[in-house]
Amino acid sequence: MAATADKTVIEGLAKQNGVTLGRILGRGNVEVAEEGSDGKMHATVRIPLDELVFDPGVLVLPHGGVLELEIVNDDNNSHCAVLPCNGDAKFIWLVNFSKGRATLELDGPGYYWYGSRTGNDEGGGLTGTIVVGGEVPDEAKLDRPPQPRP
Amino acid sequence: MATETEYVDAGEAVDFRNLSPGYIGSAPPVAKGVNYDRILEAREAEPHNWLTYYGAYDGQRYSLLDQINTSNVKDLRPAWVFQCGSVGMHSGASTYSFEASPLVVDGIMYVTGWDGWVWALDAKTGAELWRYHRASPYDVRLCCGNVNRGCAVAAGKVFMTTLNAHVIALDATTGQLIWDQPYGDVRAGESATVAPLIVKDMVIVGSSGGEFGVRGHADAFKLETGERVWRCYMIPKPDEPGGDSWPAEGEPWARGGANCWTTPTFDQELNLLYFNTGNPCPDFDGGVREGDNLFTNCVVAVDPDTGEKKAHYQYTPHDVWDYDSTMENILFEMDGRKCSGHFDKNGYFFVLDRTDCSLIRVVPFVDRITWGEIDSNGKVTPRVFPDKEGEPVHFWPGPAGAKEWTHAAYSPKTGLFYAPVQDVGATATRRRREFKESIPYWGAGVAVDTEDVSGYLSAVDPATGQEKWRFRNEHPMTASVLATAGDLVFTGDPAGIFRGFNASSGELLWQFTCGSGHHSSPCSYSVDGRQYIAVPVGYGAWTEGFYPGALAQAGGSALFAFALPE
Repeated sequence: MAATADKTVIEGLAKQNGVTLGRILGRGNVEVAEEGSDGKMHATVRIPLDELVFDPGVLVLPHGGVLELEIVNDDNNSHCAVLPCNGDAKFIWLVNFSKGRATLELDGPGYYWYGSRTGNDEGGGLTGTIVVGGEVPDEAKLDRPPQPRP
Repeated sequence: MATETEYVDAGEAVDFRNLSPGYIGSAPPVAKGVNYDRILEAREAEPHNWLTYYGAYDGQRYSLLDQINTSNVKDLRPAWVFQCGSVGMHSGASTYSFEASPLVVDGIMYVTGWDGWVWALDAKTGAELWRYHRASPYDVRLCCGNVNRGCAVAAGKVFMTTLNAHVIALDATTGQLIWDQPYGDVRAGESATVAPLIVKDMVIVGSSGGEFGVRGHADAFKLETGERVWRCYMIPKPDEPGGDSWPAEGEPWARGGANCWTTPTFDQELNLLYFNTGNPCPDFDGGVREGDNLFTNCVVAVDPDTGEKKAHYQYTPHDVWDYDSTMENILFEMDGRKCSGHFDKNGYFFVLDRTDCSLIRVVPFVDRITWGEIDSNGKVTPRVFPDKEGEPVHFWPGPAGAKEWTHAAYSPKTGLFYAPVQDVGATATRRRREFKESIPYWGAGVAVDTEDVSGYLSAVDPATGQEKWRFRNEHPMTASVLATAGDLVFTGDPAGIFRGFNASSGELLWQFTCGSGHHSSPCSYSVDGRQYIAVPVGYGAWTEGFYPGALAQAGGSALFAFALPE
């Protein structure tokens, strides 16, 4: 048996050097990318001061396609990002207080991790996810009656 | 927070590959002239190349190169090693495995890795010419790990399947995407790991997902455009031929499995593709799908022009042991007959007349078979299977089979087949469950034996079914075999040892420790008159299914090319 975590433990997991050394993975806000008139999706992800987290931690794309991403480092340390993209991962170096861009093409549905590979930022919590929703095209679906899903 | 004007401009993110020292970014246009006619004559007309997954349409995995032979193989040594490693968090982080067969075209090697990787390498030096990395969803449903078995090359393009069930075409000189065609539903549990096959003006692929209750299929696309030509479902609808081999009530056919996740072989004269189909679903709970369950566990001969089924043979009717028959059907001639040879998971070696898929001979090739029996006429008598809820049942071979998907070889020179054999049992306990898309649909809990297991490389005479020689190994043999005109056969093992044997006698002539287990398909080629033996190395994937005793085997990501000293 284990006891339910109290507020101190929960808050301590959501910051650096709290309960553990880094920030537990998979935390952070959830936002949805905006669809532009150009057919591309657009979003901004920031690295807030001393939090070692991408914000939003979970970025949702309504469907597969091209994402124009702005990445802002508001932290007082240098980081980077290795981002998923069909063809090859994209890399950007983000010195303290810098702002850059990435154009990513991703299939859906499914989700993808990305992170800062410098100085074990990933272990400390500086990882994020891009979640792509939607369905596969009709021509890729199975010819069978509708089946139950979880 | 800094104000807007204080931010440093970090610019635009760059392709990660451009940060790799020595990365070249292009390859010579050698693949431009590869076409159907060349692939038809691949072995005899250009033995220096390995143009397709099995080396040739017949699936023999036999090279005519003989510079490396029984007298000098002892001097074989690494010429170069290519390594990939991994970056960040990718799907199947604990279950990736280097399972491909490299292709070689006039000195350029094309090889796929796990997680959507494909590389063009200088086959003489191992230098990376270009790479393409398909982003794979972290949560894509994979029964057996993050793997890919190889690519196809033709018309200046490289073709591969992706974990999320797309088939893509890349420019063979740059690695840039030309076309992209999704052909499976990842929300239904489908994925793709198969190495495509070029036939005529088409690229042929098949689906994975046999543990998720999908409806298996093979697909053909125009190689120039990606336009679909046909889809062949391996589970018929109730009113189609074979539909009466499924219960009339309900929809078990719609979740029936029969995936085609290894590459077919092809006979041009008969104009037939020989697909190999996987297990029925749920794997171990036959009570919800009474009947033979066609066309699971079959060889299915398909017209490549129409996708129409022409003939079949079912190796394990109403399978309740997870005995996929996805392993290859090797085409060969015997006494003037067009035959095919197939080592099945169920422990039996089948020789068929491939003109109509009728049985010529069936013999056991593994020592322990307790699930049932197949007599010389092909009559199947099940004896041990998980038919009572909650009651554990032990049987040999286990669900990985007496031979896994890893491929046998055939030498026309010796007239022998060479099969990697696993003598491993398992215990299955039936646990009926409700079907839901994307959730594993086994119908049992399964534990594969960790003790009292072994393996061997067996040389089998198809004319008699007799074993001519056997190399015994303390580990199950889980890698494909390569046969050469130098009277040699090569294969690797789970401990990482790659070995060369005398093809006639089975004498061990050479070995090299590669540092991680083998679960791939070696090939042979030559550049500037020098013969190489190439083998991807790196254990992982569904180790718990075929050899849980090797779960802690070191992972790896290396491709070795061996050659004689210059």
